[in-house]
Amino acid sequence: MAGIYIYSESKDLAAELVGFARGTGKPAILLTLDEKTAEELKNSCADKIMLITGSSELIENYARAIADLLVKEGAELLAVGATARGRDLAARIAGYLDCAMASDVTAANFADGKLMTTRMLYGGAVQQSEALAGLSVITIPAGKFEPVNGETPVETIELAADNRVSLVETAPIVKQGADLVAAEKVVCVGMGMDKAEDMKIAQDLADAIGAVIACTRGIAEERHWLPVEQYIGISGAVIKPKLYISMGVSGQVQHVFGIRDAQIIVAVDTNEKAPVFKAADYGIVGDMYEVIPALTEALKK
Amino acid sequence: MPKIIACYKWVADEADIRIDADLSVDLSKAKGKISEYDRNAIEAAVQAAAAMGGQAVGLTFGTTKARQSLKDALSRGLEEAIYINTEEANEADGAATARALAAAIRKTEDVSLVICAEGASDTYQRQTAPRLGALLDLPVITSVTKMEISGNTLTAVRKLEDCLQTVKAQLPAVVAVLPEINGAPIPGLKAVLAAGKKPVTEFSSTDLGVDLKPKSQVTECKGYIMNRKNIILSEGDTADKVKALAAALRKEGVL
Repeated sequence: MAGIYIYSESKDLAAELVGFARGTGKPAILLTLDEKTAEELKNSCADKIMLITGSSELIENYARAIADLLVKEGAELLAVGATARGRDLAARIAGYLDCAMASDVTAANFADGKLMTTRMLYGGAVQQSEALAGLSVITIPAGKFEPVNGETPVETIELAADNRVSLVETAPIVKQGADLVAAEKVVCVGMGMDKAEDMKIAQDLADAIGAVIACTRGIAEERHWLPVEQYIGISGAVIKPKLYISMGVSGQVQHVFGIRDAQIIVAVDTNEKAPVFKAADYGIVGDMYEVIPALTEALKK
Repeated sequence: MPKIIACYKWVADEADIRIDADLSVDLSKAKGKISEYDRNAIEAAVQAAAAMGGQAVGLTFGTTKARQSLKDALSRGLEEAIYINTEEANEADGAATARALAAAIRKTEDVSLVICAEGASDTYQRQTAPRLGALLDLPVITSVTKMEISGNTLTAVRKLEDCLQTVKAQLPAVVAVLPEINGAPIPGLKAVLAAGKKPVTEFSSTDLGVDLKPKSQVTECKGYIMNRKNIILSEGDTADKVKALAAALRKEGVL
């Protein structure tokens, strides 16, 4: 069947991608690797679910088989959820097809028979639009499209797996910090903080307003003051809290990418030329060691 | 001797990008740099070469500007570099980039491992390693936070959204490493001085015999401006500024 083929191991994201496909008016065909997900997506309004059966439990190992399937079926587009597994699978299929691919698109629609996409470059400083012609591949992050409801028939398809990469074991990630992505308020520490003990002023503010502590990439990866799960940015967490308050964060574009969807951004830094102030709704130019404890007191009341 | 190839990209420093009033993007003042994440890929190759008794080789695809990258890359512990020098790199998309890198890797003997970063700091498409694996028909492991090589077996820990996944594959293989895999030390003076004497192999696209035409067509490129209130309190004493901020946050209803 021609149309838009969709994959995401996240059922919510898969349902959003079907919503995207429905919006284009083209048929939506969902690929899934396990029966549970197929069952959960039975009301996603796709034209059909193709439940893959084969000798591997790693979806990436079906890249070549899926590439062949897309060609055989006359697919117009492969849309994959932008997760670690999804990006890998999508780019591998694009490699086998040697076709155009746009990663982590913020918008996608068909015009004049081409897929018009938009995505960010330079850590979010620049927005680029591209036209993809012929069978192409895109990845789409969560939260860009709305799912729709409608019954979807399931059929199974046997695909050949490339088992050169084999699974040894899987261990759940033990979250060391609080869940940033779901947090309503976030207090973020940047490289302007002098020493690890000073994290207390951030913690006090976080406790006073019920916020989760986060940091910039440097604090997590160079200084190791917080686990890497707690850093915000294009290669870290992308968050959308109601309130984000930074201290000693200069505001490099990669970091700002991660807070773009915050409702209110507050920055405290000594350098009035710091780019973070351009990204902020409210800012205080001043010494965080004076400002933050005073703010904590003021917000406790 | 087995070769471990580290792919890297010479990119414009995003901190120097100027967005003009009409949202056009001005890169003319931007200095170049080796994409940050690629520094970790280079270090991973250097460490893998030491563990395997192999040789770490840098591979870059760029315009004449990328020539500046060679000394920096070689000072990071690589023993030699391969430089695909073509103006077509300016227009290259993920497809063309992978084709160029794959062609150079095919020309290199005894490659046992290809290491990329997840993505480059300019485009951050995260396509290169999986595309290379497909084009070279090698096993691919992405999102690698830890790897070990024992004989011909590569065991890697992948960091995914919900789990750590340990996988293994036989070499040769392609991996994409996360920046947290290592510390990518800043090279010392001695290493910088020695870098100038290390061998560089240069290819043009004709040498490689590949078509580097992009598959996707860029239709627009403009600066992204976030619309924010930009109420910045810079004058007065701390107490007043804090009071004003606290009042504003209460009014916004975000507390």
